[in-house]
Amino acid sequence: MSVINQNKSVYLAEGQELVREPLVLGQPTMRDITARIASIVESKISPKYLLTLAFTLTMAAWGLFALYYTVTTGIGVWGLNNPIGWGWDITNFVFWIGIGHAGTLISAILFLFRQKWRTAINRSAEAMTIFAVICALTMVLTHTGRPWLFYWLLPNPNQMQMWINFRSPLAWDVFAVNTYFAVSALFWFVGLIPDLATLRNYVKSDIAKKIYGVLSLGWTGSTRHWHHYEIAYMILAGISTPLVLSVHSVVSFDFTVGILPGWHTTIFPPYFVAGAIFSGFGMVMTLLVIAREILDLKQFITLKHLDNMNKILLATGMMVGYAYGMELFIAWYSGSDWELWVFINRVMGDYAWAYWTMVLCNVISPQVYWFRKNRRNVPLMFIISIFVNIGMWFERFTIIATTLHHDFLPASWGYYSPTWVEVSIFIGTFGIFLSLFLLFAKFVPVIAIAEIKSIMPGAQPAHHHHEHESAKAGVTAH
Amino acid sequence: MSDRSLHDSNAGPWKSLDTLAGNGDGSGEFTEGTTTTALTDTSVSRRGFMTLVSASMALTAAACRRPEQKLVPTVKSIQTATPGLPLEYATTYTQRNVAYGAVVRSREGRPVHVKGNAIHPSNCGTASAEMQATLLSLYDPDRIRRARLGKGQASYDSAVGKLSDAIAAAQADGKQTLVFVDDHASPSLSALFADITTSLPSARFITLPAIVNDAPAIANTAALGIDGEIVPDLGKARVIVCVDADPLGSDPLATHHTGRWAAWRTPTSDKPTMNTMIVAEAQYSLTGANADRRVRLHPSQLEAFLAGIEKALGMSSVGADLLAGADAPTIAAAEQAATTLKGAGSEAVVLAGRHLSPRAHGIALAINSALGSVGAGKIVDPVNVLPNSGVKSKAIDDAVNAMTSGSVGVVVFANVNPEYSADRRFKAALAKVPFRAAINLYEDETATVCNVSIPAAHWLESWGDAVAFDGTLSVRQPLIAPLNEGIPSLEDTLINVTKRLVPTFLGETATYHDYVKARWVSTLGNGAEGAWIKALQDGVVIPTTPRVSAASVNTAALASLPASNIGKGQVLLTVPSLALYDGAYANNGWLMELPDPVTKITWDNVALISPATAVKLGLAATTDAKDLLKANEKVVTITTEHGGCDLPVWVQVGMADDVIVTQLGYGHTAMGGVARGAGVNVYPIATPGSAVSYTSAKSVQTVAGARYRIATTQNHHTLDDGHGERPVAKWLTLGDIKAKNFDSLNPHFYDAGDEGRFKRPLSIVNSYEYRGHRWGMVIDMSQCTGCSSCVVACQSENNISVVGKDQVLRGREMQWIRLDRYYTGDMENPASVTEPMLCQHCENAPCENVCPVAATTHSPEGLNEMTYNRCVGTRYCLNNCPYKVRRFNFLNYNTDTRSPLDLAFNPDVTVRMRGIMEKCTFCVQRLHEAKWHARDAGRARVLDGEARTACQEACPAGAIIFGDTNDKNSRVSKARNSERGFRVLAELNVRPQVTYLARVSSHDQVTETAGHGH
Repeated sequence: MSVINQNKSVYLAEGQELVREPLVLGQPTMRDITARIASIVESKISPKYLLTLAFTLTMAAWGLFALYYTVTTGIGVWGLNNPIGWGWDITNFVFWIGIGHAGTLISAILFLFRQKWRTAINRSAEAMTIFAVICALTMVLTHTGRPWLFYWLLPNPNQMQMWINFRSPLAWDVFAVNTYFAVSALFWFVGLIPDLATLRNYVKSDIAKKIYGVLSLGWTGSTRHWHHYEIAYMILAGISTPLVLSVHSVVSFDFTVGILPGWHTTIFPPYFVAGAIFSGFGMVMTLLVIAREILDLKQFITLKHLDNMNKILLATGMMVGYAYGMELFIAWYSGSDWELWVFINRVMGDYAWAYWTMVLCNVISPQVYWFRKNRRNVPLMFIISIFVNIGMWFERFTIIATTLHHDFLPASWGYYSPTWVEVSIFIGTFGIFLSLFLLFAKFVPVIAIAEIKSIMPGAQPAHHHHEHESAKAGVTAH
Repeated sequence: MSDRSLHDSNAGPWKSLDTLAGNGDGSGEFTEGTTTTALTDTSVSRRGFMTLVSASMALTAAACRRPEQKLVPTVKSIQTATPGLPLEYATTYTQRNVAYGAVVRSREGRPVHVKGNAIHPSNCGTASAEMQATLLSLYDPDRIRRARLGKGQASYDSAVGKLSDAIAAAQADGKQTLVFVDDHASPSLSALFADITTSLPSARFITLPAIVNDAPAIANTAALGIDGEIVPDLGKARVIVCVDADPLGSDPLATHHTGRWAAWRTPTSDKPTMNTMIVAEAQYSLTGANADRRVRLHPSQLEAFLAGIEKALGMSSVGADLLAGADAPTIAAAEQAATTLKGAGSEAVVLAGRHLSPRAHGIALAINSALGSVGAGKIVDPVNVLPNSGVKSKAIDDAVNAMTSGSVGVVVFANVNPEYSADRRFKAALAKVPFRAAINLYEDETATVCNVSIPAAHWLESWGDAVAFDGTLSVRQPLIAPLNEGIPSLEDTLINVTKRLVPTFLGETATYHDYVKARWVSTLGNGAEGAWIKALQDGVVIPTTPRVSAASVNTAALASLPASNIGKGQVLLTVPSLALYDGAYANNGWLMELPDPVTKITWDNVALISPATAVKLGLAATTDAKDLLKANEKVVTITTEHGGCDLPVWVQVGMADDVIVTQLGYGHTAMGGVARGAGVNVYPIATPGSAVSYTSAKSVQTVAGARYRIATTQNHHTLDDGHGERPVAKWLTLGDIKAKNFDSLNPHFYDAGDEGRFKRPLSIVNSYEYRGHRWGMVIDMSQCTGCSSCVVACQSENNISVVGKDQVLRGREMQWIRLDRYYTGDMENPASVTEPMLCQHCENAPCENVCPVAATTHSPEGLNEMTYNRCVGTRYCLNNCPYKVRRFNFLNYNTDTRSPLDLAFNPDVTVRMRGIMEKCTFCVQRLHEAKWHARDAGRARVLDGEARTACQEACPAGAIIFGDTNDKNSRVSKARNSERGFRVLAELNVRPQVTYLARVSSHDQVTETAGHGH
């Protein structure tokens, strides 16, 4: 604290600028950081952890059983019907894909914008991205009537000379999601290499050493390695950045390319991207608040981090709120009876409860973040993050169900409610997600060790006016 | 390698294969009497190719059971059976006592599709839903397979022996044998009954239909001396006033009437003439739904309404005494109707419904007589008497009395089910008969109370004949040997039983086939054998000598006929179900799942009540749609003096208040898996002796807390549930036609041009040029009544699954044609329009571009094609279809198909598995067939009328026109250019290829409040 206070006094004395709030508390040494994070991997597995993992695995198993039942019996075990061809399946798919977006945003865009505060949360956000996309893929693979023919959705050469239909947004979806998954996984793994090497050096068990050894790809930490690493990381960040925008835009095309009022709108791509980031940050918040407590990472994930994320939540929440409002306005402004009617039905019809749940959770609840006090209130932000998760799920449900259940011809209208199978599958995806996250939290450094060191005071070359400060910090660091 | 070269190089060996397949040498399946005259050339290469393909099939077929009964000559075109090619045979279906000419399509010896015979004047090539659906009953696994004695299975011979022994014993005892038979239209059958009675004096044949309705016959007997129902010719009527009559709905003649009525429903601005139909009724019947003006009347007012018309026409009154109970609105409506009637003179007719009294029928007859519409060549021509439609209740009463008095030793039920449909008195009397036998298709309620049960044969398995009301004779020839091996038809069983008792009966080896043939040969006279073969080929013999009836109406005799004594208060009306009629085919999935055209309910009968009645009975708080919807599915106990039962409630707009309408034919406790448990049997609470009379309801009590799920195929717009008006089902009035006011048919484009008129949206790509055929359809909503024949025709042709009530409840019915029903106008008494909705084969199909695997694509002939094999089931196409006409196989609906139900499948159409999408194909298999035939005939194009879709063939109204729109002279091209034409949702620019012709109402009042459907 003394360093900071000194800094502060210096700055304040000069009256020129305010010091930034520290991103790591407690002035740990570099070694402390390594020890602190790597010890999570090395520490004994607690019964509490096992119990939690058993619980989430049970959820996953239950969901997989429901999926097995669906695949062996037919989509008829779901509540879908004639006007409503998509229900919880695609809602969940879009929900999970959306969740993933925070990871990419934090790791790529915030990296390119040199937002240092991202280092504490990027690792887990990226992991979350990958796990969420896995959940989304589970949904997208099994939602078809004949999932065993999933490879027909890929452009595979075959004797029928039958290619996929490149005009279909679902085909674009396949490319978008697969690209996204591949790039995110690669980005995550590249980012992990130095830390895996750290673990290789840190862990005691031979097996673990071997595993981390193989995974760290012979990392020695040489300057040459660092040089290549930095370039690779930068390139991947560059590749990932457009993906943040493209994936959810493409997902939104699933709807916008349709001709149904309520789907066929040009606002969807930006609206979906904003929503995805919003929901992703909601989920990151939920998980980090828990992880921060359980893994005792308050030192690294500070209130400052949470505050920043809440600001993004507030901003993206307002963006989706704007989108909701604009949808309604355009529905009226278009002069199209179909369009107007669909939105009136969305707001006042059979699924009005879903719509208003969405508005309450996504637009109203983040408004508390106008106040700094609230942005730093951990229990509150946990509750709000849950609200955001719920709200964003309902947003997708509202878009899908309200549009499909009442479209053009009143005679074909219907109503949809899910069966236990769909609910189980959704719970199951949470099971998969949480299980993977728990395994990640235990066996992979939850915080990017190498990166966080880089934002320690003194890790970066300092301004020449404060040479003595950097020198001092440099000494402590090594 | 071309077919031709294959055929030429292998001409020799093929001949023997042909022989093996049983083609042409008379040694095959149809040994006796097979016609071998080739009417068409048989050297066509494709057919030869098909023979080669089917050579192996022929080898295996030799080991299979094939139809072996007697002769089955073909009707037209192909004379020899070639495996792989369909054959069509003419036969006859009798819907109760109405004869319809049928042509049955047969593949490899099994019938796969029933359609109408074009030369039969009753249906002119069209077919009713029931007639087509009975195909499924042929293969019904629930049919009785083996005879039963007591509780154990028995051979057919021992069962027949037991029955004849019982008859012999009864005869020795001096007791009678009563044989109860259903309504029929067969002169040979009547003759057989007479012959049996002659040989076996103790036997009596009594016609015992489930629905007995003597009122018209009583009135006709009194006024004309004709004991029977006269069939009016609606094709000659300019004004039709139906009082409770339902000629377009539940009447067995509906298929006939619909065709005649619909011919008058297509006015053009050049020739703005059409008929006017005024319907006064308590229920909301299909006829009422198609009325130009509906008068909603409580049953107590219906006969007064008739009397009111009579009075307004200034006639000597048959129903003067009935006017006493008339309300002022009834009289006003009657006067209005009378004015319309008077305007049309002898081109007007009044029809009294089957629920009305003999007096009501008498009044109608008197009015028609006064209008001048009774007489030879008029609308009501006394020569057109429905066969066997005379008074039946007297014979039934006598039979009941005989049974009660113990003078009956044996009863035989021949395809009737009185244990299900008869009243309590009949059942009590039946219990006193010591020996009961049933010769039925199903182990139904009656069979279960019988000592002996003998399987009967399906109509497609048995010989017979029929006479139509206009004297047209037709033969019924079997399409297949009875599926129950060794079990002959009902008629043969009757002959066999008689022969055991009277060995000389009909000679040594007589069968019913010989019997029918002998009668026909003697009728046909000189050169009879050839004429008989011709009759079998055509299926129909139209009498050459004109029949004339000199009967004239004696009005004086009518005033003393009994009138209805129904008072005010809650009245129960039991009506025949539009799908099941009396319930004889209740075990038929196609009919069970056929949505009622008005209520859209499947699998159940309900208690229909008006909104005000729902409030009155405490089922709904207000007549607000939201409250009324909550009343639906509540359960009420309805008690009449004859009994009570629990029925789920369904609010039906447009019904009279204080009336409860429910349908007969449901609630079987036996029969089979489909019929059992579907709905409630309401025969026990109906009026004894005549199930279709009005009955006063003593009480209607809500069963507290009870709810019963009702499966409907249209969940919305059963009431005016506030969804606003949508220009999807368009209406015009005759006034619009006259004034050439067709603006409302223009699409509603939101970016319409300056002059406010639609401009075709621009496209950045050129439209595809369709060079060959381009298929299109026109549906005339002005002719469509909603009879649902097309739905069953499509189901039969395209192997569409029956999914069951549970799946319908989940909204997963599979029928490719949906009959959308929209109400318009005043919700107290709305008009309705039926809009058949099927795949529109959009040129710019929204389903096609969204399919990721290109499973649904556009053909060069303008079809929106569905490649089942390629479909992975993303359901995106379904979502993106603005008409929602795609059907997804949510489950494997065909895995539970029990043998031999799978034989009903059309082999030309793939049976779809789960997980794939399906939809209307415009019967693409038929289009291919037509193209093959054209190619065989050396033509490059299919001629207009050669390719017909199943729905088009079946439509009794002729409302569906299909063909090549590239052919400017085709019917469809001309119809598409009709001034009434519009495309549904044209504003979406999906360019549908189905043109709808707007519904026209001859009466401005009906559509005064609404230019469009809701």
